[in-house]
Amino acid sequence: MTTTASPIKFLSQIAAEAAARRKELLGGKTRHIVQVAHCSLAVGADKVVAAVRQAVGENEVIIVAGCDGTCFQAPKTVTIAPDGRREVKGHGVESDFFALQKRIAMDGCGEIDATDVDDYLAHGGYAGLAKALSMSPEAVIEEVKASGLRGRGGAYFPAAMKWEGARKVRNSPKYLVVNAEEGEPGIFKDRHLMEGVPHRIIEGMAIAAYATGINEAYVYINAEANLSAHRMEKAIARAKAAGLLCEKILGSDFTLNVTIMRGAGGYVCGEETTLLNTMEGYRREPRLRPPFPTTAGLWAKPTVINNCETLANVPFIMAKGAKAYAAIGAWPSDSKTPPNQRASGTKIVSLSGSVHRPGVVELPMGTTLRQIIEAVGNGPMAGHALTGVAVGGPSSGVFPTSMLDTQIAPGLLHESGVMLGAGGVIALDERTPALDVVRRLAAYNAAESCGKCTPCREGTPRMVDALDRILSGKGAQSDIEELRYLADVVGAASLCGLGQAAGSPITSALRFFGDEIAMRVASGAR
Amino acid sequence: MRRMEVALITDRKELRAVLREKFPRNHGQLLPALHFLQHEFGHLPDWAMEVVGWHLGIPASEVYGAATSYTELRIKKPGEHVVRVCTGLGCWMNGGKDLLSGLAHDLQAKPGETTSDGRITLEETLCGFLCGLAPAVEVDGKWQGRATAAAVHASVNGAAKP
Ligand code: SF4
Repeated sequence: MTTTASPIKFLSQIAAEAAARRKELLGGKTRHIVQVAHCSLAVGADKVVAAVRQAVGENEVIIVAGCDGTCFQAPKTVTIAPDGRREVKGHGVESDFFALQKRIAMDGCGEIDATDVDDYLAHGGYAGLAKALSMSPEAVIEEVKASGLRGRGGAYFPAAMKWEGARKVRNSPKYLVVNAEEGEPGIFKDRHLMEGVPHRIIEGMAIAAYATGINEAYVYINAEANLSAHRMEKAIARAKAAGLLCEKILGSDFTLNVTIMRGAGGYVCGEETTLLNTMEGYRREPRLRPPFPTTAGLWAKPTVINNCETLANVPFIMAKGAKAYAAIGAWPSDSKTPPNQRASGTKIVSLSGSVHRPGVVELPMGTTLRQIIEAVGNGPMAGHALTGVAVGGPSSGVFPTSMLDTQIAPGLLHESGVMLGAGGVIALDERTPALDVVRRLAAYNAAESCGKCTPCREGTPRMVDALDRILSGKGAQSDIEELRYLADVVGAASLCGLGQAAGSPITSALRFFGDEIAMRVASGAR
Repeated sequence: MRRMEVALITDRKELRAVLREKFPRNHGQLLPALHFLQHEFGHLPDWAMEVVGWHLGIPASEVYGAATSYTELRIKKPGEHVVRVCTGLGCWMNGGKDLLSGLAHDLQAKPGETTSDGRITLEETLCGFLCGLAPAVEVDGKWQGRATAAAVHASVNGAAKP
């Protein structure tokens, strides 16, 4: 591998040309940015595009972007006059939704032309890749290690360690798989990234592949995300045309091929070995580990699997440096904590439920749930009172309002099993009691169990049965004990993360809402 | 996933020819081939799965086993229109619960069932990834956010017109 400074020069030339083209296209014109994404399409963003297209004057241009995360405002248009004045048109008001946010992965989302490579370049895009290509792969891994970046899919494994492991394996070919399978209710962030800044994912992917010595990459997108797949495809084609994804990328010796694969639905598909089975044409079931995918993954070859959001953080780390990244978050770089244990950087949170301003938000690690729900989401729906928050999806748990000052961190937020997971935050109000919430999560886990392990297959429906008995007023103390027992056994004896965490919502509910549940049992027993 | 009104492929021979053209014969092509069937027929007819198995060299039982393990693949033939109500937590608490029971009442069909005239299949989906625009409903492959029963009826009835 040659290490020369030429990729940076190469990029500055491409970027200058892109800037000139942008200037010619936009100079002195009013820009109508229409935010079109999976969500906004469901409330008529396509009709908005058509209307703007019809009305667009001579000195105006229309730009189709992804969404900036303000789901509550969709469909949204931002008009920017040549003098910089902005006018926002949308559902509801923007106010201080962005005040606490720090945008790294989502930077430019909803603002830049989603698939246009020129616009991404004008936004500083591909600078991280150029920098990486001018360094040795080992140095790139070191930089990412120093940043403390951990996987953002829910397991939070240190990204650089995975890369290092794969780099050392002497077996070829090796593969990179981007896990964009978002099969988890309450979480909708990876599609925002793919729809709004697909080039950032491509850039992150190219850096990861270079660092690990991989020339073949796959992006695994779930069945429902048609727009994401479409935008990724388009962005890949444009990156190729610009010399950013091809043979000899940016004039270096590095080559990368990218192929898109579509999933077919299911929570467990996000589990990395299930994802590999799916790609190889087998049932939706996890594989036994070890061997780990970095040793024997796709078609038994070494495979690095990275989540979409993880990769979207990498360009910033390369372009701005590990220090800049580690300075964001709960425990900054000057602390004595080793980088791998630091909560550095940001996390994208999907905020929904009983809040005025649901959306996709990027926040520094260490932000509290209270800030997320109150300051960003603007509190519970009118006429309702906040009763708790469901964090991290069906594998995690529920917190009462007394725990709202908990800070978000990679991994476990509380010993009762509440984890940040992939970053879903659902605010609850009195319309949905904690027990109902847990019942819905448990039913989800039961429906999604792939059936490979007996404890998970048999245990998850039994949890639902016990919850149903309690909910219908026919519950007994023994049901509570059964729930505790099942949560333990299923958690201990299951093969994959789904079963291992299936009891977490129940454990956390018994811990925090135990009185409510006991009262339910007592009143039913009377 | 939008389904075609009239399937263009009507027999095994024709399907074999199309598969030969589109899908290289390796195990990894199973999911892409099943997606293709669903797009073509709106569901996965048994005979078509058999042909896929033959083409890829995978026993039909394995094809069926894989197909049934995915939530987005449909084995049973649905009605003319498919209405899917999201029952994820966010939607459920923000109106999805009432929307589903309302539609079930109007259509006289429970989730998973098709109306007696074969027109509309009502389904539940565990997440539409539109939690921010709850409640969400999908009608014939197109999602509606901040959905109402009236809007769902209107799009089904509108789509029925030539
Ligand atoms: S824990 Fe559950 S979902 Fe995971 S492999 Fe076992 S049965 Fe399947």
